[in-house]
Amino acid sequence: MSKYGVLETNITEEKYLVAALKEMGYQAEVHANGAALYGYEGRERPETANVIIRRGQLDSASNDIGFARTADGRYVARLSEYDQAIGFDQKWLNRVHQLYKEKQTIAVARAKGYVFRGREVIKTEQGERIQLRFAIR
Amino acid sequence: MAQKTVTIVIDEKGDSEIDLDGFADNSCGKVFEDFRGKDKVKTERKKAAFYTSQPVDKRTSTGR
Repeated sequence: MSKYGVLETNITEEKYLVAALKEMGYQAEVHANGAALYGYEGRERPETANVIIRRGQLDSASNDIGFARTADGRYVARLSEYDQAIGFDQKWLNRVHQLYKEKQTIAVARAKGYVFRGREVIKTEQGERIQLRFAIR
Repeated sequence: MAQKTVTIVIDEKGDSEIDLDGFADNSCGKVFEDFRGKDKVKTERKKAAFYTSQPVDKRTSTGR
């Protein structure tokens, strides 16, 4: 049996979420008004989402992974228990957050006139950290 | 005058640290907000440089 859990994310801008997922190798669908998620057996589920990775891009027994926009503008991840157990877990979601934040930061900085000075990946025992540096004109 | 720089470190959980250097005025508040966006502030503090880099050009006379 499969069911969906809801994990709070802090993602608010769709385009950077889609870009983060693309960097992780997924072509996400975008549905302004939401669309149904499908389970591993191909059946439509009651859960909907606005940004969806279809199961065909995941494990052969996976369900769709969705990100649903809430009333306050944040996106929450909709992940089945099965998919969380096979690696689409909090660590995977953390990586989505990390790439989202990187892309959003660079785009906003450029739009506001900051000068990009470089990117560096710092390896720690906990994982990789991304350092971005900017200067002010 | 020191170059104003902004360093963002995004950790493995997706949380980020903003470090502002070279600011001797109050513009760091606007810059901080630019980079914060809609993120929730967990902690915020001013660094020692904020206090020590203020111009000291007024002198008091001691009157002999």
